[in-house]
Amino acid sequence: MQNFEQYNSIITTGVYGSAIALILIGLYAVLIKKHLIKIVIGLSIIDAGVHLLFVAIGYIKGGTAPIFSPGNEDAVNKMVDPVPQALVLTAIVIGFAVTAVALSLVIRLYKHHNTARIDQIKSLKW
Amino acid sequence: MVISPVHYIAVPLLAAFTIPLLSKYIHKELARIVPGIVLLYSVFVSIVLMMQVSEVGVISEKIAGWSAPWGINLMFTPFSGFLASLMSVVGFLIWLYSYNFKKIEQSQSQKYHILQMMMVTGAIGIVLTGDIFNLFVFMEITAITAYSLTSFYRERDGAEAGFKYLLIGSFASVMILLAVMILYTQLGTLNMAEIAQNAHLIPTPLRATILVLFLVGFGIEAEMFPLNGWAPDAYSQSPGPIGAAFAGIVVKAGVYALIRVIFTLFDIHGAYDFLIYGGLITMIIAETAAVAQTNLKRMLAYSSIGQMGFVLIAFGIGTKTAIIGALFLMFNHAVIKSLLFMSGSYLTYNSLNKKISALAGLGKKLPIVSLLFGLGAFAIVGLPPFSGFWSKLYVLTAAADQNMLLLIMAILAVSIIEIIYYFRVVSTLYYGKQEDEEIKVQKPSINAMVSMLILGATIIVVGVYPDIITHFLNNAADMLLDKASYIQAVLTQNIN
Amino acid sequence: MNSFFLILLILFAGAGLSFVLGKISSIISGTVAFLSIAAASALFFTQIEMGSFIEFSLGGIQLQWGLNSYGYLFGIIVLGLGTLASLYSISYMQNKERTSGFYFNFVLVIAGMTGIIFANDFISFFIFWEIMTWASYLIIIYSGKNVKKIGIKYMIFSAIGAYSMLTAIVMIKGQYDTFLISDAINAGAFNFIDNIYIPILLLIGFGVKAATMPLHVWAPGAYNNAPTSFTVIFSGAMSKMGVLGMGLVLGHMFTADRSGSLTNFFSGFSVIYLQQTIGWLGGITAVIATLYALIQDDAKKLLAYSSIAQLGYITVGLATGTKLGVMAALFLAVVHGIFKGALFMVVGAVERQAGTTDMTKISGLIRKMPFTFLTALISIIALAGIPPLGGFVGKWMLYEALITESNSYFLVIVIFFSSTAAFLYSYRFLFGLFLGQEEKETEQVKEAPITMIIPMLVLAILLVITGAFPGLIFSPIATAMEFIGFKDVTWNMSVLNNVWGNEMNLTYLGITIGVVFVSIFAFITLKGLKGTRYVGTKDISTSGEIPYENENLTFQINFFQPFVRAAAPMYKRSMNKIWNELGNGLEALFNFTRKIYTGNGQTYALFVVIFLVLMLLFKDTLFV
Repeated sequence: MQNFEQYNSIITTGVYGSAIALILIGLYAVLIKKHLIKIVIGLSIIDAGVHLLFVAIGYIKGGTAPIFSPGNEDAVNKMVDPVPQALVLTAIVIGFAVTAVALSLVIRLYKHHNTARIDQIKSLKW
Repeated sequence: MVISPVHYIAVPLLAAFTIPLLSKYIHKELARIVPGIVLLYSVFVSIVLMMQVSEVGVISEKIAGWSAPWGINLMFTPFSGFLASLMSVVGFLIWLYSYNFKKIEQSQSQKYHILQMMMVTGAIGIVLTGDIFNLFVFMEITAITAYSLTSFYRERDGAEAGFKYLLIGSFASVMILLAVMILYTQLGTLNMAEIAQNAHLIPTPLRATILVLFLVGFGIEAEMFPLNGWAPDAYSQSPGPIGAAFAGIVVKAGVYALIRVIFTLFDIHGAYDFLIYGGLITMIIAETAAVAQTNLKRMLAYSSIGQMGFVLIAFGIGTKTAIIGALFLMFNHAVIKSLLFMSGSYLTYNSLNKKISALAGLGKKLPIVSLLFGLGAFAIVGLPPFSGFWSKLYVLTAAADQNMLLLIMAILAVSIIEIIYYFRVVSTLYYGKQEDEEIKVQKPSINAMVSMLILGATIIVVGVYPDIITHFLNNAADMLLDKASYIQAVLTQNIN
Repeated sequence: MNSFFLILLILFAGAGLSFVLGKISSIISGTVAFLSIAAASALFFTQIEMGSFIEFSLGGIQLQWGLNSYGYLFGIIVLGLGTLASLYSISYMQNKERTSGFYFNFVLVIAGMTGIIFANDFISFFIFWEIMTWASYLIIIYSGKNVKKIGIKYMIFSAIGAYSMLTAIVMIKGQYDTFLISDAINAGAFNFIDNIYIPILLLIGFGVKAATMPLHVWAPGAYNNAPTSFTVIFSGAMSKMGVLGMGLVLGHMFTADRSGSLTNFFSGFSVIYLQQTIGWLGGITAVIATLYALIQDDAKKLLAYSSIAQLGYITVGLATGTKLGVMAALFLAVVHGIFKGALFMVVGAVERQAGTTDMTKISGLIRKMPFTFLTALISIIALAGIPPLGGFVGKWMLYEALITESNSYFLVIVIFFSSTAAFLYSYRFLFGLFLGQEEKETEQVKEAPITMIIPMLVLAILLVITGAFPGLIFSPIATAMEFIGFKDVTWNMSVLNNVWGNEMNLTYLGITIGVVFVSIFAFITLKGLKGTRYVGTKDISTSGEIPYENENLTFQINFFQPFVRAAAPMYKRSMNKIWNELGNGLEALFNFTRKIYTGNGQTYALFVVIFLVLMLLFKDTLFV
């Protein structure tokens, strides 16, 4: 049992840690990388990190799926929180839409400017 | 049929899915007409609900029968209702204006009108919803439609503006999502009334973190400096009526969210000061940046940002008079800036390039449009007897009540700057030397004219008789300041 | 319907109607404008009882319109001059472009000024003030000349003035919780001891319209750029709105009961400082404007500078804070309204008939335009302050107030210098346009049409009457002064009392000089009837050389060369330059702020992240 809890906390820490790492990696890509596609990828990575974080919050030790079923009356105490999962599903869909729009814009930009470097696309300034 | 706030959301969503089918199988023209009908219906809903709300106080709607705090609820209060009505009216006028807009027709007008309708719907959703995650979703709906509309014209630099907007907008959405997440871990609820009720239970540092995330996230949508890099580009590259929609609808929703977070969710003193300083810096930077602009729409964009800074200042002062002033400003800004963008886009359309200097002499060729632009310019700098004056007066009075002399002077100094650049455009319009006599002028279509005349008439009527508006503003300000009654109205609805 | 509403309704409706009808014909439009102003004046002088007022609420703010004796005094100027000027405009504007816009704004300006006079509360005061301002801006740029240089400058200065006024207004609201002027006065808002900012801000606001140094730079250009028939109103009546406000503030400040206030010594001292400052600003304005008037070749510009100089006298009079001084100032204000109105009408008539107002190009119009000349002569007499006409009485009172009551001897010297110099330009104006040899170019010139002559002659006759009976003006002034705090003002029909015990009976003086004047005029006319040989400009030979046709030998060129040479250092330093440099500096600064928006999306994203990090770092101090 001891082992299990230890294992569990490692997972939790790992999940949280990797979520934050994902956000930071994404941030790096968005702020430093000059290529438009890389920036879009960065945005997606940030999104993924946040989603992971959100799901991790809803997780409880030894939890079960939030479904009531016969023979599992104890579920109320053990089930993981369903709300974050529902929210993350929505957020993923939104993220998908944003990425789609972003990529279409990148294509348009590339056609228009013949480059995909963000620091060379500056016809609108001041 | 009972009119309820859910009609604002449900009808456009339904329409958005059916329009492509209708236009494919019945008539192509439906893609352009149906959004107008839907928006007109929203206006109708607004009128009915505004009449009801002055009797009832608060109209709330439980989605799918789930009571708050478990389900999502829509709250039509005098405050949110006022904004929702404003948005629906402006949204309809923008549809009316762009119905025959030549440039849009050349592109794929079918998409344009659906997107515009969905943008209005998203903004109204932000204003009405009582659920913080739902607010996030509506904000994303508004944002995604706004990204697409910004880059609607292929031949302009729309894609660039759209991409910048998207880049910054994604940051906003990440921050809001993070804030919602932390909030959920702490309180286990997403209902705004319940959050407001229990916000004091959150440990202070964490509460401040949530607040910062919200402020930055919504600050991006509300065009607060230094988060507003996307705004001038987006305004100037989007189609003219969409510039009007940004000013009149999208930013309003961002400001609403910011205000809701500060006034209702976290009633922290520092947040009000943050609004004042943030607003002031935004206003000063934007208005000074506007002076040297050569592109008309970009100038209008900076002016718009500056105005939103002014709105934030007014909310930051936080007294009842100030909030009336702030709401009045939002109303004025929605009406006047829409008029300026609408008339301005006909003016730029008929000039050789979008430069201000190319507008010379258009006053003669497009007399009514120029007159309306001039009217808008006079109104937005706050000259009486136009509506812009009253909002400025209310805010300044409120500031004087709080003894903020320096703030008053800063606002008025900025107003002088505003006068300089607006009057420069107006005088170029009427007295500039024409370079090319032979330009064939594209006159506005009748529906565009009607739409602009309605806005122009509103400016004058409200300016001469502001009591038409102040009655609603009064109720709205009361509602915003009365946090307890909001909480009560939401949380007791499951009883009845 | 209430007369207040009715008057303003007539004016606003008149404005709208003349705008719409202007699309048909400029004469109809002008007639409508004239009729509406005339109707409003008729109602103003007959239907409104002194002291009556109405109250109503607009936008949750309590407003009050009424008529008091002080407002009535200015109402005489505004509506009297407005009626005449609108009559005059009909012919003056006859063949010009865009007359509908002109008449629209013209009537709006009149409506704005009438509203200012009616306003008993600061909000309606400010609203009408702004209506007057932007309508006049639109008239200034109406001709399309110098729009950027003069129009924007006018609007900026007006905005500075209006917004300092607005600041003062909201401060009054913040401190005394009232928008009513009378309440604010009773509460001591203009006291200057308890409130330093409010009176100063208000004075800045009014000082701009009254063209007081250093806020005067907009005025010469604006007066000159506006169509002449509007400059009549602009200089004659609109500048008086600044005087109205300054009189209100200063009158109540100087007569305020300071016994209740703390630190009497220093505060009394500071009032004196303010008084001296304003007085000197007025004096300097008068001198500088006079000097600039001297070097103008254009009659209209000359009058524009002259107006500023006259407003300087009025400011000096108001700043004395004594009964006699303020009375002199108000008297000068009324008389200035009349004679400057008449003079601008003269210039307008010359402009219309001869095509130019350049004094180097035209001369000898006396035979062509006798009535115009007559008006010009009488008005110039009043302007220069020669007895018996009004200008003399006003200046006499001003000197007396300065010497006996406020002991400002240096100021007297300054004023005296400026009014002596004023003789020079007065002479030049009269001589340049009407006397001297006839030019070839002006051979075809005819007298102005009757609708222009009538208003001019009415004003001229008014000048003569008020010169002989200054009591006609003293009577409303005396009651008006009670409203701004001076009690028991004594005056006497046509008798000037001074402190030395002398009485100047102006009636006899007036009659005497009138007889002389009429006989001289008759003599000249009779003499003119006899055949005289007229000599053209080119009818000379210098050292045996006959000048070429294209050489402009008019004596008008470099008219005051010796004087100007002597005063050369005074012309070098100009307030205008300082303001221009300030403007350029600010513009460069503004150009810098927009560079923040670099155009690179990543920079914007970086801004967001940096801002977020900063906020998170300081979150505990910001949001506790």
